Amino acid sequence: MDGVATERRVVGRRLPRLDGAGKVTGRMVYAADFALPGMLHGKVLRSPLPHARIRRLDVAAARAMAGVRGIVTAADVPAVRYGTAVRDTPVFATDRVLFQGQAVAAVAATTPEIAEAACRAIALELDPLPAVFDAEAALAPDAPLLHPDWASYAALPVLAREGNIAARARMRHGDVEAAFASAHRIYEHRFATPLQHPGYTEPRAAVAAWEGDGRLTVWCNTQLPFDMQAVLAEILDIPSGRVRVVVPGIGGGFGGKLRVGVEHYAALLARRTGRPVKVMTTTEEELTAAYPRQATTITLRTAVDREGRLLARQGRVLLECGAFANSGPGSAAICMQILVGPYRTPALDLESLAVYTNRVAAGSFRAPAGPMANFAVESQMDIIAEDLGMDPLDLRLRNVVREGDLGPAGEALAGVSVAECLERAAEAIGWRERRPAPNRGKGLACSWWMTTGGSSGVFVRLAPDGTATLVSGAVEIGTGALTGAAQVLAEELGLELEDVRVAGADTRDAPFDYGAQGSRTAFSVGNAARVAAAELRRQLCALAARRTGLPQEAFRLERRAVVGGGHRIPIADLARESQLSGGGLIAHGTYINPAPPYDPTRVENHPLPVFNAPSFHAHAVDLSVDPGTGEVTIHDYVVAQDVGFAINPTWIEGQIEGGVAQGIGEALSEEIVYREGRVLNANLTDYKMPTAQDVPRVRSILVECPSAAGPYGAKGVGEPPCIEPPAAIANAIAAATGRRVFSLPMTAEKIVLGEGG
Amino acid sequence: MSFALHRPTSLAAALALAARHGAAARFLAGGTDLVIQIRRGRLAPAHVIDLSAVPGLAGIAGTPEGGLRIGALTTLKAIERHPAFAGGARRALAEAARVVGGHQVRNVGTLGGNVVNASPAADTLPALLALDAEAELVGPGGTRRVPLDAFLLGPGRTDRAPEEVLTAIRLPPPPSAASASAFLKAGRRKAMEISVVCAAARLDLGADGRCVAARLALGAVAPTTLRVRAAEALLEGHVPDAGRLAAAAAAAAAATRPLDDVRASARFRRHLAGVLAGRALAACLGRMGNGEAA
Repeated sequence: MDGVATERRVVGRRLPRLDGAGKVTGRMVYAADFALPGMLHGKVLRSPLPHARIRRLDVAAARAMAGVRGIVTAADVPAVRYGTAVRDTPVFATDRVLFQGQAVAAVAATTPEIAEAACRAIALELDPLPAVFDAEAALAPDAPLLHPDWASYAALPVLAREGNIAARARMRHGDVEAAFASAHRIYEHRFATPLQHPGYTEPRAAVAAWEGDGRLTVWCNTQLPFDMQAVLAEILDIPSGRVRVVVPGIGGGFGGKLRVGVEHYAALLARRTGRPVKVMTTTEEELTAAYPRQATTITLRTAVDREGRLLARQGRVLLECGAFANSGPGSAAICMQILVGPYRTPALDLESLAVYTNRVAAGSFRAPAGPMANFAVESQMDIIAEDLGMDPLDLRLRNVVREGDLGPAGEALAGVSVAECLERAAEAIGWRERRPAPNRGKGLACSWWMTTGGSSGVFVRLAPDGTATLVSGAVEIGTGALTGAAQVLAEELGLELEDVRVAGADTRDAPFDYGAQGSRTAFSVGNAARVAAAELRRQLCALAARRTGLPQEAFRLERRAVVGGGHRIPIADLARESQLSGGGLIAHGTYINPAPPYDPTRVENHPLPVFNAPSFHAHAVDLSVDPGTGEVTIHDYVVAQDVGFAINPTWIEGQIEGGVAQGIGEALSEEIVYREGRVLNANLTDYKMPTAQDVPRVRSILVECPSAAGPYGAKGVGEPPCIEPPAAIANAIAAATGRRVFSLPMTAEKIVLGEGG
Repeated sequence: MSFALHRPTSLAAALALAARHGAAARFLAGGTDLVIQIRRGRLAPAHVIDLSAVPGLAGIAGTPEGGLRIGALTTLKAIERHPAFAGGARRALAEAARVVGGHQVRNVGTLGGNVVNASPAADTLPALLALDAEAELVGPGGTRRVPLDAFLLGPGRTDRAPEEVLTAIRLPPPPSAASASAFLKAGRRKAMEISVVCAAARLDLGADGRCVAARLALGAVAPTTLRVRAAEALLEGHVPDAGRLAAAAAAAAAATRPLDDVRASARFRRHLAGVLAGRALAACLGRMGNGEAA
């Protein structure tokens, strides 16, 4: 590119992250740490029942308690319904509660303990109603209707909705009937996955403060500050320009902090009391009323020929949204792309349903749809291989997509590397010896994932000392993505990483960013930074040209200077000069990752029909199963992930290791357990996330098959590592024991006694 | 949550406080159970008597008759690291202490607290039962000793009177030269885990290879930690061959009265009880074969 040195000096290197020192020394201020003078504490009264009519809600006794400063209920807030795909969610329950954990009232008091006691003092009388707790049952014609007014709700126009079905979508092509009729073998299996909590360390937290002129500031740990700004404006019925959202620091989100959680309660209580209010969730609230991964039931039917080539696939995804649609319609539909997998599928007919039930309104946990659908398709690939007497690696390699093949929506696939990922993961795990000892086995799984679109804007400003500030509305969620974007900027400006400072995550001062979601931050912010850097180079080269009388084209940026025609002018000199003559050096850059063209005849009612800049990956695991206790011990774990270009290999490996740890939890231990609509394990004693002793050393192989759009060819990195672990582990357990578990988590009990108790 | 916190500096002062406040008071040792129960609203004592300043309640010492006295405030970490349990006949106790919670819990959690808390799933209790432990209590009437299996009455219930302090756990000397013990635990993860089932065993063998004494105890399968006397009877007086061990393991599974809960089904707990009991007994034999026995 014009004016850039060709040798790469900053990107591709294992540099320390910009937010690292503050985090490891405890100096970093997270939203949960944030406090203001005179601040009150808010607590939320939540429904104890899964479905009931509110007969009485009386806050008089609570309001009279010493230390209580304000209470809000549905009677005090605008009757708005909000929601990402379907506007079905009220701030507080009005006439009915729809799940155990739904907010009914919120209290602000001088201490959290008083606020909690006041919640208990609120008289809430409920008349239980018939309820429905699984998606299949919710489809029955006589099932209780969660939203009798569903037809009146605003929703994305693409969605097809009816009754308890929040969204129905379809992907199909080819002659499925003929393919099944001519098949050598047909396989049909049913898989189930549970509700799982994202497991971020920091609870959801918000501090809200109103200024005298009716402007609101909320400091919170949202992943999407600009979306939060819009939603809060809607809920509070004020112009969005009066809402400022600031993310001081965020202690993990994994998709669980995409949507409004406690911010609106803080804002409403602050408005009611005239004082700043902080609301922070408890562990019990996290496990009953957060945004866990949706539960799914997936039926997959596959036709193959004698050589194991896939002929057709047919399937149905039932994804349980819970009481409100939230991210369910999108997640359910994406399940279809993951069910196709990175496989050539000549004929296809898949259907996805996002279904309301009287359980928690679920959300989009890291790679929403990914682990669930991959567990189904990759388990079935091994079943097919076993039945045909083929090696599971060979069966996959026979069917994987190759460069230029069409994806499920008919899009042309580019940067396809799944075969290489599979071969390298298999080689690293020692695949040729799949059952090295009794009760020991190896498993493989592969998948693909998107680099989500959405736009990014940045300002880049050069200080008079020649250093740069990257001002972005993006959130550093903990992946190191903004260190990656800063590396891109430093590279493009001939600076070192330590010359770049990142500022932003403030909707008042920073340009728009679509937010920390969908493995897009380093990709999109990096690209926007490149655009801004090109403009700064132009400005710097013009200043150098003016000073030397040489043409602008004679100059390039290199090692903190503008260099050309025998001149070497420090960037700092030109930045100072610009402050005197031209208002300083500043540039704006924007980027949007455009969705590739696809064939609309293959897709019905799908909100996300095609993957942008897809990534490919394969996982391999070597484990033992104790035949007596069912205990699984993982000896070795390998991930071969195509990252396009590794902007900073260290932090990519961190994403892979963390994703595998989460995936091991999904595979073996994590489940929010309900009985009759009530959570039985709303604590971290019985909600079992893996510990350091449960997670093996993870070996990462970074495959670099560049994307056309990403900075230096980079692809999205953050979400994929948690997609394959359940399937890879399921396949290894089957190899070790000869038995297969069809539902997650694959507990020791299921391994030993079988499913169904 | 509000209570008066007392910090007596002598056992006499602690006993006086307990006598004054009776059932309204709770003793605080490591606090890893008590504080959680208070925070969750399951206990609401008006008085908390912190024992940490009472001298002499922590530490492990030999007794004149060849046994061990473990002060009630001895931390689980201290037991995990003490040479008296590193191998030999009492190894089961270190194996149990090592898998309670995580490092932070074991650095403050105490053996006495674990015993008085009397959880049916407590890890140290099966090991203590296998080692014929006694509880040493001091109250207004002086000191008394109670065999541990008589001391444990039900979930959270013991034979301790409110005005008594559990001062120590005492382990007798092993009754024969060839003795070994073992503890095993099954859970959903490898640390920070409450046992789904745990099991401890001890075997003492005479010179003729016959079993002089057998102990088998199980956790998390009944309202209290369960000593399986039927299994012990199948072993005592016999050479513990594979058939005897299998019969004892089957008797252990049959003796359980497990619950269905969020951690496991009753059926799986019963299965695990048999597996762990058989393995714990086999481990005892294996350790004697390795010359590891005391």
